[in-house]
Amino acid sequence: MELLRPSSLDELDGGVFVAGGTEVVPLLRDGILQTTSLVDLRAIVPRGVRDGRIGAGTTLAELESAQVPDALREACRLAASPQLRRMGTVGGNLLQSTRCWYWRLRYPCRLHGGDRCHAAEGEHREHAIFANDFCVSAHPSDVAAALLALDARLHTSRRNLPLAALYRLPDEADRRTTTLEPGEAILEIEVPPAEASVYLKAMDRRRWSFPQVGVAAARTGARTRIAFAGVAPIPWLLDGETVDAATPLPRTAWKVDVARALLRRALAELG
Amino acid sequence: MARLIRTEKEVEGRFEEVWLVVEEDPLSQWPAGPRDVVGRAATRKDALERVRGEARFTADIRLPGMLHAAVLRSPYAHARAARVDLAPALALPGVRAAIGPDDAPGLETEAGYVGAPVAAVAAETDAQARAGAAAIAVEWEQLEIVVDPEEAVERGLLHGEPERYERGDFDDAVAHADVVVEGTYTTSVVLHNALETHQSVCEWVGDRLDVYTSTQYVWGVREEVAKGLGIAPDKVRVVCEYMGGGFGAKNSAGEFTFAAAVLARATGRPVRCALTRREENVAAGNRNGTIQKLTAAARSDGTIVALGGEFINALGWDGWSASTEGPMKMLYACDNVRTVRSTAKINTPPMKAFRAPGFVEGTFGLECIVDELAKKLDLDPLEMRRKNDATSNDGTPYSSKNLAECYARAEKHWERRHEVRARSDARWKRGVGMASQVWYGGGGPPSYAWTRVGSDGRIVVVTAMQDIGTGTRTAMAQIAAEELGVPLDRVEVALGDTARGPYATLSAGSSTTPSVGPAVRAAAADAKRQIVEIAAQRYDLEERVLDIRDATIVSADGNLSVDLTEFLSMLGNAQILGKGARGPNPTGMSVLTFGVQVVEVAVDVETGEVRVERVAAIHDVGRIINPLGAESQVEGGIIQGIGHTLSEQRLLDPETGRVLTTTLDAYRVPTIADVPEIVCEFVDEPDAHLTNLGSKGLGEPPIVPIAAAIGNAIRDATGADVHGLPITREEMLRALKERRGAPAAV
Amino acid sequence: MKLVVNGEEHVVEVPVETSLAEVLRDELGLTGTKVACNEGHCGACTVQVDGMPVLSCITLAHTVSGRVTTIEGLRDHPLVAAFVRADAVQCGFCTPGQVVSAAALVAASPEPTVDEIRHAMAGNICRCGTYPKIEEAILHWRD
Repeated sequence: MELLRPSSLDELDGGVFVAGGTEVVPLLRDGILQTTSLVDLRAIVPRGVRDGRIGAGTTLAELESAQVPDALREACRLAASPQLRRMGTVGGNLLQSTRCWYWRLRYPCRLHGGDRCHAAEGEHREHAIFANDFCVSAHPSDVAAALLALDARLHTSRRNLPLAALYRLPDEADRRTTTLEPGEAILEIEVPPAEASVYLKAMDRRRWSFPQVGVAAARTGARTRIAFAGVAPIPWLLDGETVDAATPLPRTAWKVDVARALLRRALAELG
Repeated sequence: MARLIRTEKEVEGRFEEVWLVVEEDPLSQWPAGPRDVVGRAATRKDALERVRGEARFTADIRLPGMLHAAVLRSPYAHARAARVDLAPALALPGVRAAIGPDDAPGLETEAGYVGAPVAAVAAETDAQARAGAAAIAVEWEQLEIVVDPEEAVERGLLHGEPERYERGDFDDAVAHADVVVEGTYTTSVVLHNALETHQSVCEWVGDRLDVYTSTQYVWGVREEVAKGLGIAPDKVRVVCEYMGGGFGAKNSAGEFTFAAAVLARATGRPVRCALTRREENVAAGNRNGTIQKLTAAARSDGTIVALGGEFINALGWDGWSASTEGPMKMLYACDNVRTVRSTAKINTPPMKAFRAPGFVEGTFGLECIVDELAKKLDLDPLEMRRKNDATSNDGTPYSSKNLAECYARAEKHWERRHEVRARSDARWKRGVGMASQVWYGGGGPPSYAWTRVGSDGRIVVVTAMQDIGTGTRTAMAQIAAEELGVPLDRVEVALGDTARGPYATLSAGSSTTPSVGPAVRAAAADAKRQIVEIAAQRYDLEERVLDIRDATIVSADGNLSVDLTEFLSMLGNAQILGKGARGPNPTGMSVLTFGVQVVEVAVDVETGEVRVERVAAIHDVGRIINPLGAESQVEGGIIQGIGHTLSEQRLLDPETGRVLTTTLDAYRVPTIADVPEIVCEFVDEPDAHLTNLGSKGLGEPPIVPIAAAIGNAIRDATGADVHGLPITREEMLRALKERRGAPAAV
Repeated sequence: MKLVVNGEEHVVEVPVETSLAEVLRDELGLTGTKVACNEGHCGACTVQVDGMPVLSCITLAHTVSGRVTTIEGLRDHPLVAAFVRADAVQCGFCTPGQVVSAAALVAASPEPTVDEIRHAMAGNICRCGTYPKIEEAILHWRD
């Protein structure tokens, strides 16, 4: 394997992108990601917060104490471990993969291109309660839920798009969970101001846990946007539906109760 | 004089009849309470090198020319390796040797769980070894798998016959009781996850084998390796000077040691074999799950008249069946007890001892159902426990028991419950619960120690024990310093090497301090006696008027006061050597540890979150050698127990029997953010019948009652009965729903 | 590649896949840094890069451009004595990583509160449960 360190966007040409490495390095070691060239993006991806635009290379630790909306700051504060927050970037965080143990252990599941969802039939007590008919994996990004609620937009090396458009549900024809094209890199995240925003997270430890359920809510004028982490194969925007629309599996019914309680609290906190 | 006795020896609650050579223990115990060194807080003798990263663990051993070994493990939960072809591995770059089933103990043709060791490869690098192991071609015949323990019991897939116990007439007592409570309690599999994984480095020097290994028992490894390789035990040297945690999983040699030894012999080079974290969590042992169908019956005055339990130990493919019914037999003065324990043989990874095996699981069920009984009788749980406190161990008297004193000291913590409950609000319900603890921890013979006094007035305690992080090295130094009348900084302890000291017992079963400590004191006393003898000759005084105090040789009349170092300087390179042995345990007595914990919790009734806010732990383990180290043991046991109770769960794929939670993001042990306020107290009363110290072990007692105390606090806070560990949000919300759906408690 | 570790520059030749932890332990002999999970979950391998605590087991050595500080570079830090005093060490396998994380914390916040300590130290797992003593050691690190 070679390590490339491009100094401009023009030099981007295939390979697996790496910034903080907290997700990519373990996945390469497990063989879930395979490549002959690893591309260190850090010289070309912006880092830092300016005028509502967040460089994709900004670390979660930096955002934890940055002038950004409360929901995003709190999502960063409660994400991962201190060392992972120091290393991991916000751009990489949006692209992280599920913690589904079957997927991580390389079972030939639907997300890996296979024809079964092993979790649906097997051990799924931490899995999805929405959009789980094809794959029951749960997306672990706290930050994505916060940014979805905040109606963030992405600027990539090729286009601008709403964050919601970054994600797609995997289906029979296409197992990917994002719409990012090969060679496309997230550069900046534009976060419109919100009057109030909040992120609440249920974990089974007080710190250093992926979300069992995370709920983000952001209010601007009369409009409140709500998004969840840990409840669907992708970060989940509650768009015109309620938590009652959840379709839990036998062992995930409890997550619906948790989601409902956290949402009630989040809305109360927004005022 | 050496004496041969036939006696019952206990390790981790397992008993066997053995012949033992013991020596008399003529020293009388020190008076209770803090002495000059013993009973006073001491920082660890080896703290500095551990904190500075200088301590050399097995993981840090790098021998010249060392190869790396990797183990090929079964991908199937039950299968037979019909053919194993090592040739593809041997053809790979860097691979130097490969061995298959039956080439080394532990590598087997029949795999009973996913992860069972089958073959091993040694190569120049770890990556090459792993590539080599993966390249071994195995023709597998898959066999039927059973992973459900109840199914296994129904079908008679058992390890041994069910264990039955009965005293009195259980059925009659239940029939005539005023109140009967029944319930099913489950505890789940938990993983040790010591931070240093299981590993060994083996090197042959001629026909001798050096084994560096992360173990709780250097002598046990020596014996196993010698037997397994068919060589004399004295040809095997086992070294473990620093070790990164064990918790019961590192009491034996393991396939990694045998593989390293055999591959080292085959290649003529040192070989290290280290498990990865993921291997650790599939193949290195676990606390088995249990299913406990319990009955408790009482008279309306709170007298427990009957206790019964049908227990299933979901053991896995291998291991031993711990006494889950032990607490039910031992904690209460109940005349009618009936238990049966079946041990399911299922296609899951092997059980290994884990900090009070059996009693942790059994105490959860027993102490929860006793509280449910108290609630039904509208009795105070503390009063209920006092009223039913056992007065003997099934007829055998105790060597000492101060549980009543523990209860007395628990009162002030228990009294807080009114104030704690009053702090509840709509979201957070708060409550207080308690649970009691009985466990072994007396240790026993044999164990030996030497002391070596140099002309510089410094003392080295030499004993081939190990300090697995519990602080026993420091406790041994304190005991020697106390006996010799010198400050603690004059004493060093050389341990962890079977070639450099006499036999000492394993670091498990809360047995190290009570087993080795008395031998160290005897060895120190022997050295002191010799110093006094030569001082008597030097100063022409009677031995009986001489003593050593504060590193000074003094006479009773105060006329003689000679600095010990100055006196010993005449020795030059001569040394004074003391030796000591652990005396026998008291005959006809049960040596047990006791304690009680009072726990305060907060339960978020909307999201099922449980927070442990405060734990008060009062334990009776005889004399405390080092109050600081003892406190650390209690805190560590409680925190590990909180993990078992709330956040740790090992999950299996029901179809393939594969462990799904092999990594530390999925298997969640507590972090610093999960720690409650912990208040720790010791009765600190020497056991007058136990050895020259009166000390029992403390490694395990603190983890025994914590789960039940949390469960009982949850009931106090919410009225909900949690019956399954871990108490996840799912279990908590289930119990709360059950509570709301149930008719109001009478 | 060049690597500055504890103020000293080293030149090492390793494949791209090699982790910083492997370089420190196997190439430079700095075995104070422990590897306990080798996938970024436990914190035993924590070192500082430009003063920030990072996980050396999932950091590729070739991607490191900053100055690396390991436990060997912090052996005379007052935290070491504080850990010894407080009995903030049991088996000791996680302890070097704990000290490295704690040193970064007290550099940024010389008088950390209990909440700050719990937030900053949550990525360093101690299976022995030494946490109360670690908290005490950090609270009183300058005593």
